[in-house]
Amino acid sequence: MAALCRVRHRWKRTNCIQLLTRNLTGTFDYDLVVIGGGSGGLACSKEAAQLGQKVAVLDYVEPSVKGTKWGIGGTCVNVGCIPKKLMHQAALLGTALKDAQKYGWQITGPISHDWSTMAEAVQNHVRSLNWGHRVQLQDKEVKYLNVKGSLLDEHTVKGLTRTGKEIMLTAKNIVIATGGRPKYPTHIPGAVEHGITSDDIFWLKESPGKTLVVGASYVALECAGFLTGIGLETTVMVRSIPLRGFDQQMAGLVTDYMEAYGTKFSWRSVPKSVDKLSSGVLQVTWTEEQTGKDQRDTFDSVLWAVGRAPETKTLGLEKVGVKLNKESGKILVAADESTSVPNIYAFGDIGEGRPELTPTAIKAGKLLARRLAGQTNELMNYDNVATTVFTPLEYGCVGLSEEEAESRHGKDSIEVYHAFYKPLEFTVAERDASQCYIKVVCKRGGDQRILGLHFTGPNAGEVTQGFAMGFQCGATLTHLKETVGIHPTCAEELTKVNVSKRSGLDATVTGC
Amino acid sequence: MKLHLFISLLFSSPIYVSFQMAHRLLVRRIWTLSVKDLRCLLASTSSFSTSLRSSTTPLSFLSPKHTLPCSLPHTSRREVSFNVQDHEDFTERVINSALPVLIDFHAQWCGPCKILGPRLEKAVAKQKGKVAMAKVDIDDHTDLAIEYGVSAVPTVIAMRGGDVIDQFVGIKDDEALDSFVSKLVGQ
Repeated sequence: MAALCRVRHRWKRTNCIQLLTRNLTGTFDYDLVVIGGGSGGLACSKEAAQLGQKVAVLDYVEPSVKGTKWGIGGTCVNVGCIPKKLMHQAALLGTALKDAQKYGWQITGPISHDWSTMAEAVQNHVRSLNWGHRVQLQDKEVKYLNVKGSLLDEHTVKGLTRTGKEIMLTAKNIVIATGGRPKYPTHIPGAVEHGITSDDIFWLKESPGKTLVVGASYVALECAGFLTGIGLETTVMVRSIPLRGFDQQMAGLVTDYMEAYGTKFSWRSVPKSVDKLSSGVLQVTWTEEQTGKDQRDTFDSVLWAVGRAPETKTLGLEKVGVKLNKESGKILVAADESTSVPNIYAFGDIGEGRPELTPTAIKAGKLLARRLAGQTNELMNYDNVATTVFTPLEYGCVGLSEEEAESRHGKDSIEVYHAFYKPLEFTVAERDASQCYIKVVCKRGGDQRILGLHFTGPNAGEVTQGFAMGFQCGATLTHLKETVGIHPTCAEELTKVNVSKRSGLDATVTGC
Repeated sequence: MKLHLFISLLFSSPIYVSFQMAHRLLVRRIWTLSVKDLRCLLASTSSFSTSLRSSTTPLSFLSPKHTLPCSLPHTSRREVSFNVQDHEDFTERVINSALPVLIDFHAQWCGPCKILGPRLEKAVAKQKGKVAMAKVDIDDHTDLAIEYGVSAVPTVIAMRGGDVIDQFVGIKDDEALDSFVSKLVGQ
């Protein structure tokens, strides 16, 4: 027996010896090993530890092409939601400063923005969050390892340190929550060498200057939005449609506002190449699909926001038998987040068909931990998830888009109520509110259950959150109309909606 | 008259003034050094005085971090306040320190740390070399900070002979700091 134990460490990779020792000892190093320390991974590991499990979380950030790297917390904390919302706020404050003068504030001299001040403040906050997560893991007794995890077999995880040292962990259950990273359009010459992605923009020490944002996802529009807001000349290059997957009428209002706000849009254009000139600026050549002509312009920075790819390549999934979706590369998961291998689970951005959102990852992670600890059978409900796009004119929604409702129920079976409203704060500030709009998509007839709710306007996230709860409870149009609004707010306009698209009447809200 | 002028000029000339200062500094340094170090220092004073004569930049021997020509024992780097470089450095200069040490756990992103830092330096300086201060950036030395149970910053730990004697979290005013430091030195 003793001889076997001594030999075990040398013969680690020989499965039979491993199986033998496991059977002999019957225990694993950990009850649960989570690969990925982002929103999902951290929530799952902390919940599991709280329920008495022995847990380890492995987090490792492969530096971006430009060399950007960050601490624990994943995409949301470091290169997503948090820095994005803070920079969006910086841009909104710029607009507020302009409005302020109409409200009587005496602002002498021109208003200018310093990128370095904002970036340092944002980066410092992110670092404080990294630290906070470390402390939490320590408090909750989750073992944290800054190693790149990969699977050797269904119970063994290999961790690779930055310096190349290998460590092995065995676990009863393994959870993969490695998320995704931005894609580079590698087929475009110069794209990788000269472009940056959302992984880099929030960590730049100096202003990106005149920027070309390629893409029309919410990442592209949100970034272009705050860059314009802080005074940088920004262009968005769109191949086909903005905010694919979202209600297209609402997406149009968002981009209309951005254009009026100062962001340039290059519609139906595809970049061809990126060259660095001797002066240091980047020259981008692109093709306009409609005319077929090539255009050229120079920029200080090119930001690629053309999609995200799941982090699965270095996990050793094939060897272990975890099946992926061939097209997306994401892990195929069942309703309980299980994969094709019995004790291996996957959730968050890495799961096929899952929303790429922090709150769903956190909730799914917690429920998974509870199920693994035998505390519950409850599955994650991915329906009715509210979201908000933090563009200069924010867009919040919950439920189905008009197109999706039409396709599922038929145009004749739905009723769409809508209204163009003007936020009170815009009046004195003399701001254009043409794109401030509300849309409630309901079932026609019967109890007129609400299928989808859409809102563009200031603080859309705050407005939508409350209505999302009603939506979750199965709110009907009657419920909405029976709700007394809070006055004066933008949110109350949702309770007052009464003009249907079908009627063809003017949907502009008039005074009180 | 001319001689008087010359002498007053000589005694107020930058070179002479800096010589005075260097001498004062040297005396102060010898005071705080151990005998072993003194032996080493005296051995090098010949090169010291030549550098004095030939130096065109007086500041070269005014800097407290001036490294002496011979290799001194590692425990003799007597800066009162220093940044911890790594785990080994911490063991050497903090745990194995002959002096009591204040460990200032701080972070770049921590506003209150920037207020407490200078106050700590002041309180430590008042003790005239009886206590040292080790500064630990928790982002650079996360494991060390976690090891010492740091959760919020600033956290200040008072250590003597490798043992934690006292600690506090957050900002203290000058009076409270003086009393905290005196307690560490006094006992």
